[in-house]
Amino acid sequence: MRPETQVAPSLAVTVLVSVGRHPLTGRGRQADQDARGVELARSIPQAEVSLLHAGPLGDASETALRGYLGMGFESLLLLEQPDGADVLPALAERLEAAAPQLVITGERAEQGEGSGLLPYLLAERLGWPLVSGLAAVEEVAEGVATLLLALPRGQRRRLRVRLPVIVTVNAAAPSPRQSAYGPARRGQLVLEEAQVVHDEELAKWQVQPARKRPKRLKIIKAASARDRFKAAAAKAEGGRGQVLTDVTPEQGAEAILRLLREEGVLRR
Amino acid sequence: MSESNSEMLRRDPRQAWIARNRLHPRHLEVLAELGTGGGQEAASEWLGPNGLIRRNPRTVGFIGPHGVKRIDRSGVQQGRVVAGAQASPAACKPLVEIEAPAFLVAVVPDMAGGRLTSHDRDLLGLARQLADADPDSRGAVLAVVFGGHKENGVGDAGIDRVLHFDDEAFAGFSPEARLGALAAVEQAWTPRHWLLPDSPLGGADLGRRLAARLGERPATGVWQLEADAGSPLGWCCTARGAANSLDIRRPLPRLALILAECAEPVSETRHAARLLALPEALPPQLARLEDLGQVAVDPAGVALSEAEFILSAGNGVRDWEGFHHAAEVLRATEGASRVAVDDGHMARDRQVGATGTWVSARVYVAVGISGAIQHLQGIQRCDKVVAINMDPGCDMIKRADLAVIGDSARVLEALVALVEQSREEKRHAA
Amino acid sequence: MLETLLPILIFAALGLALLGAGRRIRLWRQGRPSPVPILKGLAAMPRRYLVDLHHVVARDKAMSNTHVATAGGFVAAAVLLILVHGLGLGSGLAGGVLGWALLVASATMFLGSLFVYRRRRNPPARLSKGVWMRLPKSLMAFSLGVFAITLLRVGLLPEGLLEGAGGWILALVLAAVVTWGLAEMVVGMTWGGPMKHAFAGALHLAFHRRPERFSTKAGGEGRSTGLKALDLDDPEAPLGVETPADFTWNQLLGFDACVQCGRCEAVCPAFAAGQPLNPKKLIQDMVVGMAGGSDAAYAGSPYPSQEPGGKPVGEHSLERYGSPHGPIVASLHEHDGKALVDAETLWSCTTCRACVEECPMMIEHVDAIVDMRRFLTLERGQTPNKAPEVLDNLIATDNPGGFDPGARMHWATDLELPLMADLQQVDVLLWLGDGAFDMRNQRTLRALVKVLRAARVDFAVLGNEERDSGDVARRLGDEATFQSLARRNIATLATYRFQQILTCDPHSFHVLGNEYGELGGVYEVRHHSTYIAELYEAGRLAFRPWKGGRVTWHDPCYLGRYNGEYEAPRQVLRALGIEVAEMERSGFRSRCCGGGGGAPITDIPGKRRIPDMRMNDVRETGAELVAVGCPQCTAMLEGVVDAGAEVRDIAELVAEALVEPSTSVATDAVGHDARSIRHLAEEVPL
Repeated sequence: MRPETQVAPSLAVTVLVSVGRHPLTGRGRQADQDARGVELARSIPQAEVSLLHAGPLGDASETALRGYLGMGFESLLLLEQPDGADVLPALAERLEAAAPQLVITGERAEQGEGSGLLPYLLAERLGWPLVSGLAAVEEVAEGVATLLLALPRGQRRRLRVRLPVIVTVNAAAPSPRQSAYGPARRGQLVLEEAQVVHDEELAKWQVQPARKRPKRLKIIKAASARDRFKAAAAKAEGGRGQVLTDVTPEQGAEAILRLLREEGVLRR
Repeated sequence: MSESNSEMLRRDPRQAWIARNRLHPRHLEVLAELGTGGGQEAASEWLGPNGLIRRNPRTVGFIGPHGVKRIDRSGVQQGRVVAGAQASPAACKPLVEIEAPAFLVAVVPDMAGGRLTSHDRDLLGLARQLADADPDSRGAVLAVVFGGHKENGVGDAGIDRVLHFDDEAFAGFSPEARLGALAAVEQAWTPRHWLLPDSPLGGADLGRRLAARLGERPATGVWQLEADAGSPLGWCCTARGAANSLDIRRPLPRLALILAECAEPVSETRHAARLLALPEALPPQLARLEDLGQVAVDPAGVALSEAEFILSAGNGVRDWEGFHHAAEVLRATEGASRVAVDDGHMARDRQVGATGTWVSARVYVAVGISGAIQHLQGIQRCDKVVAINMDPGCDMIKRADLAVIGDSARVLEALVALVEQSREEKRHAA
Repeated sequence: MLETLLPILIFAALGLALLGAGRRIRLWRQGRPSPVPILKGLAAMPRRYLVDLHHVVARDKAMSNTHVATAGGFVAAAVLLILVHGLGLGSGLAGGVLGWALLVASATMFLGSLFVYRRRRNPPARLSKGVWMRLPKSLMAFSLGVFAITLLRVGLLPEGLLEGAGGWILALVLAAVVTWGLAEMVVGMTWGGPMKHAFAGALHLAFHRRPERFSTKAGGEGRSTGLKALDLDDPEAPLGVETPADFTWNQLLGFDACVQCGRCEAVCPAFAAGQPLNPKKLIQDMVVGMAGGSDAAYAGSPYPSQEPGGKPVGEHSLERYGSPHGPIVASLHEHDGKALVDAETLWSCTTCRACVEECPMMIEHVDAIVDMRRFLTLERGQTPNKAPEVLDNLIATDNPGGFDPGARMHWATDLELPLMADLQQVDVLLWLGDGAFDMRNQRTLRALVKVLRAARVDFAVLGNEERDSGDVARRLGDEATFQSLARRNIATLATYRFQQILTCDPHSFHVLGNEYGELGGVYEVRHHSTYIAELYEAGRLAFRPWKGGRVTWHDPCYLGRYNGEYEAPRQVLRALGIEVAEMERSGFRSRCCGGGGGAPITDIPGKRRIPDMRMNDVRETGAELVAVGCPQCTAMLEGVVDAGAEVRDIAELVAEALVEPSTSVATDAVGHDARSIRHLAEEVPL
């Protein structure tokens, strides 16, 4: 390997990975945010990255977990848990024992409740600080990490935090490297027993495929009949657009500007 | 009243005569004098000499789009009437004051840029539903606001109580300090409901922190609320789960993170928005996250798939400098058609289309792009498409919600000028 | 004196050559084992040389004749040289005949070498220079030397010429010339030199990795173009080629046979587009890797690059260094600089097989490139640009675009296509391909359906049960995804009964027909152009005469070069009343559209775009319309800006020209003479 990795002290990084679900076909896959987390971990020069998953081992989950191995890992630690188990105690116990400096995970799981609460509960339980929505780890030196936080619309904020810390990543983090078939096939899924706590509350909830949310109607609380009529007779969405021919550039620009303002994309 | 009565009785037969005679050269002038508004327009109504209302039907109404005269009985059309009625719409909304609330519904709005976002308003609408459900024991909506705010319609949004933390410690990025404050609120008043927006602007993060701190299992991604007597809090919610692929129906817990458009914003009542203060001062906080400030980001560097406003160039663009300048001024992310990329004008990662990046911008402005099928496929998910093109027959125009036919360079130039001018005006106004 | 010297020289040369052969064979044997029938291969070699190889060489008449004279003369001369001068059989009547024969042989060879010389005076850019420039002189040295010593032997020269001091000098000069000739032509054959191609080439023909590609006495044009499957069940089996030694030994032998004629370079679309690929250089790099060393001795065109002059050769010998067990492509993460080829060179290939078609030495460039891509994709996960996304889509949604697999039939809701699931048994299974998701290709599919209905073909589609054929995954080196798709498709197809599969996508056509067989799926597959030609022949279609302008036909690589179908589409166009204005590069020389092998996905930048060049070819014919038969070609050629010609699929042209016979007429006429039905059909009011 490169010489500097021997000089610099290594940094123990654990990435919590979950089994994702393709939005169209529902097939098991690497969860997108977790895979980004793995990529983020890989981008830290002195990191020694290990992968951790808690959940059941089956065909679909094995394909997905091997997907992470295909990103260049020899092994992945799997805390075996049955379906419907609360994986928090098992993960917290394991992290307490292994004591990594940095824990990276995706913001939300693609299966199950997907509440995105797990990293917060882990942080609360371990007493570590948490940063959500990371775009990059800029530097780790002397136990202090400089992080780049992703804000909406591609904005960024810089933070400094003392290790250990839990960070979560979302779609703003670097896109994951390709998972290669060879390493995925060769990599080891190391199984480990862990305590099992059933999530009884979850079992009581009614779960069904997501319904399409109704589009909000513009309710016109107009004082006059004319306004109400106008709102009701307004052109339905999806019709042919407006075409401005024979206008001066200024008129055209005004029309465009009006649309940009209506859509609220023009920033001050 | 008496004065106007005495005036009314005083006649001017000549004026009345002119008012009746449409051919008189001073006819309009006199009509205007007789009109109540005294504006430039001719009056349509005035008091006749016998105390009767006289009408001039010719001045009523307006010429419609097809050249036909339309009369609007609502009266909106007539400017001066509206001006009179518009005295103060806020004032006419009933003011609701809840003196002794049965419980509190705590809402922590995002207040992005110091103003309530539309998401915040929806959330407050939902909070109102929770607070007003039982007319016998009404709750109050408490808004916890961090940092300086510029919102003056707080009461109109449905807020009964406001707790305002505008300490230096809460400015900028300060999730830990805010969490401490919310924990103090919990200790002081123990609200029955905690509602936060499940938004990337901060609510999602803060809400989950609060849940972990309070030890409450929150409902996240909630988009629907129904009364349900069987649930502990009397409500049942539907929340999105598993990356928006599941709907989870469950009793509403104390803490809920709510999606946008979950309820209609409050619009018919005004609320007191009375300022509240914590009974005790906040304990000093240990900030483990040190904020080094926001980093300047070039909009051109934003990934196309993330961008919500894209200015995209195609084969028809000749003035590349002007295009880049326009993108900079509009603060739009640059995109390109395949041809523009192939010709080396734009980088490959800027290519939009089936063979490039599939984009989902809110507004996609296609400059000089004729609209190959692959390109149109790539912009399927865009909300609004604007096309600027010379050729009115091209496919992009058919797709566009707004199309401007003309020289793209000149249109962009005009657009840039307009935007710069309006920014200039704002700066002076501020 | 010459009598004693010559046998020594000849046998020393033969001995050295034998030694060199042993060394050369050891180099090849570094490759992975690949069992071949040795004796059968050797026995088949002359036919492969004289028929198949000559078939390729004969495309250049002058060069073909030159080679016949030079090589034929040399082979004869070499054998006779051993007999006459080595074994001293030059005396007596038989010996006299041998001597005269040797004179004729060496004279022929000399004549040939004069043509070689003439060609080398102003060699075209595709030819390598360097050591190859001395070849004509060496040929002349050998032929002249042998001619001269044989003149002496048969006694045509006065006795006593070699006596005295002048004689000695003459003898020495002759011996020197012969030594030069022997060194180049015999020793050099196995020790590396221009003549290496003869030795390696002969053995390559005998032990070719793809013996099915050669014709047999039984006739028929051998054609084997499917890639070889990887064994994925064996966890020890290597995934693709990392180092030169990972090729099979006969692949290495094939690389060693390269004559650096540069025909591949001349036809390679990526090379012409200025993308960093030169098939000849690539094969030479493989030889460098096999033998170990740098490419400093290479004297041909380099890989093109964005900078003028192409990628530097030799100068960076430390960076371009190969060894049999060193990586061919440098890893992204370990920059120790010891690599032969840039990854982008491998990803520039469109797998159009123009190089393979042109190669007189029968080298399989495309298979080697895909072998190396397999390693990059399966082991390193370094498929460039959009390719990882496409592969992920194929894994998750069974189509490269990542579309909902349940939406595959949305385009055809109004057509009410019969489904295999409902019918279970039909004559023709219409394979739609991923074009079903592409708005442009949907027009072609609609046209094809219209044609099938007009001809009353009993057909059905798989509908949502269909998956991508796996073509793109395989060309991008993702053999695992290819096999997964293929096995599932085969399992689906196994549940239904049909006579043949029809598709309008030559890539699916090739993969289903030629590559599924190895995985257990054997089908009769038809490209729509072939099928329409058959329908027309059978009198089931009638067309109104063509009224448009000039039309040219673009041969898709996977239909033409891969599967030898050049005639059917032209037949269909003729039936439409179109006289095809052929492009200069058509038929087996057709230029790729740039859409194959995942090239649009990996998108390696060049100086020009391949489809632009192809549309230029179209423009040169003056055609207003270019007919195509492939969704990829349609997309690529339609993507050319300001193209003069319209791009239409052949199915669209057929559907437009269709004269639909009325129901009663058609049912009556089935089985009748084709002419009569056409005649009747024309009476139907339009």
